[in-house]
Amino acid sequence: MRKISLALTLILFLVISGMLLGLLFYSPLSTLLASLASPEIRFAILLSLITSVVSTLICIAIAVPVAWALARYQFFGKRIATIVLTLPLTLPPLVAGIALLLFFGTTPWGKALDSAGFAVIFTPLGIIVAEVFVNLPYMVRIMRSTFAAINPRFEHVAKTLGCNETGAFFRVSLPMARHGLIAGTVITWSKAMGEFGAVLMLAGATTMRTETLPIALYLNISTGDVDLAIAAATILILISLVALCTVEYLDRDVNVF
Amino acid sequence: MLRIESLSITLGEFSVRDVSLEIRSDEYFIILGPTGAGKTVLLETIAGIYTPYAGKIFLDNMEITAREPRERNIGMVYQDYMLFPHLTVEENIAFGLRQKKVPADEQRDRVQEMHDLMEIGHLAKRYPGTLSGGEQQRVALARALVLRPEILLLDEPMSALDGRTRDKMRRELARIRKVTGTTIVQITHHFDDVFALADRIAIMREGRIVQVGETSEVFLHPVDTFVAEFLGISNIIRGRSVREGNIARIAPARGPAFTAASSVTGDVVATLHAEDVILSKAPFESSARNCLPGTVTEIVPSGSTVRVVLDAGFPLTALLTRESCRDLDLKQGSEVYATFKATAIHVMPVNDRE
Repeated sequence: MRKISLALTLILFLVISGMLLGLLFYSPLSTLLASLASPEIRFAILLSLITSVVSTLICIAIAVPVAWALARYQFFGKRIATIVLTLPLTLPPLVAGIALLLFFGTTPWGKALDSAGFAVIFTPLGIIVAEVFVNLPYMVRIMRSTFAAINPRFEHVAKTLGCNETGAFFRVSLPMARHGLIAGTVITWSKAMGEFGAVLMLAGATTMRTETLPIALYLNISTGDVDLAIAAATILILISLVALCTVEYLDRDVNVF
Repeated sequence: MLRIESLSITLGEFSVRDVSLEIRSDEYFIILGPTGAGKTVLLETIAGIYTPYAGKIFLDNMEITAREPRERNIGMVYQDYMLFPHLTVEENIAFGLRQKKVPADEQRDRVQEMHDLMEIGHLAKRYPGTLSGGEQQRVALARALVLRPEILLLDEPMSALDGRTRDKMRRELARIRKVTGTTIVQITHHFDDVFALADRIAIMREGRIVQVGETSEVFLHPVDTFVAEFLGISNIIRGRSVREGNIARIAPARGPAFTAASSVTGDVVATLHAEDVILSKAPFESSARNCLPGTVTEIVPSGSTVRVVLDAGFPLTALLTRESCRDLDLKQGSEVYATFKATAIHVMPVNDRE
């Protein structure tokens, strides 16, 4: 048993690293650098960075209070709320994307938002909306389990020491949850950088308009421009690596999945 | 003075039911009771963490039932200390002062005062995770005391400490109480805490206070068999009591009758502390009213003492020093006489739930 499982682990390790290295070294370094410097890839990097950072910030702003409510308070319908709030977790992003497209495109709500200048469909704004929708549940889950692991007695003590409820949260609970918050932020951000399905559905795949890195990869591979596609893929691999290392480092006291 | 009137609260499986208590200023008050009796909930309600659904709490004749914890001037230390792990020892102690916006120089002075009082100055820059249990305990006390609370609530403050540290901490608490004059309300499972510290104690059971009183009074005169058993009184004997002049004659269901200084008659429970039973090889004449023959059935050493269980018709436990046990040459099966005074027996009518 020991030998077989160790051998399988080794084989898996070799296959995955072989595949990734093959991708990284497919084109010579000079070609890769030239592709990275191309206007299209530079646009994709910038757009991806902006949208992912904005959507991650929105995710934090929403997920932290929601996770706090789920971890600390008892309220009617808590179980159902938990399920619905984390449903997008298992929903294929394409399905999430089409749900968003229909919501913003056909409902009076969506139309009202559109005429109010909040145009989402086939716009860069749509990228942010799609990323938030898909990634929020991850952030909620991570923060909920982080908060739930903190003994409420810390807050009780903080209250006897002069804090009100909000003060106890910001001075004690949130600082104690910082590792979970960092891990959640990194995961959310890296997932946002790589989000494809939901973005494709809601924001479309328009070159130099809604072209994030994954969209650039997809568009360029469709047109046979392998070098540009690989440049986009390379950046995405690096981001995944950074995210994974951060999470592994913090994993000792964060229950991520 | 802390006064609690008919306090009731339910929190999941724990509840406090109709509790009334008066705790005097400067008093060391200990609450005892089995796990799940609602002791912690009672303490947390006094601190203002939870709002009771009935009853009132007064501090120095001012009602504080609806006040937030931060407006009560009541300190709280939990058994696991709950030191904020992201703050240093110094920052933990200064936490309350910062919340109360105490000026920086006064903050420094008062933190220093706590460093001196609790002898933790050398730990100032360390994080709680690196401290021993005893050190954490002292920091937690400092963090609560720095606000000069009128009342300090301690929830089993010594249960996470080893025996020696616990002894030291007990002396420490006695000293703190003397130096600061703070009223202390403590929950404990250890009778040693009670004897070393408490002025008065309360026994809780299933959310209710079943007995309150001076420590010695409660140990000598428990109100019912639950309290007697909980306090570890070794001899709890059921029987029928008949009045004989000024005293009572108690006939257990099995075994010889004995005499008690009591006026209670009918079905009774009699309690007798093991340390009040004298063992001898031969009967001897004394002022003690009871001298019963018996056979040693069990000898249980514990520390410097030995518990000797006799069959005197009913089981009877005596507490001896190791030396006495050796000098009397007691073994299983030894024939001995158990002598005890009528006044050592506390008699209560059977009216409790058992």
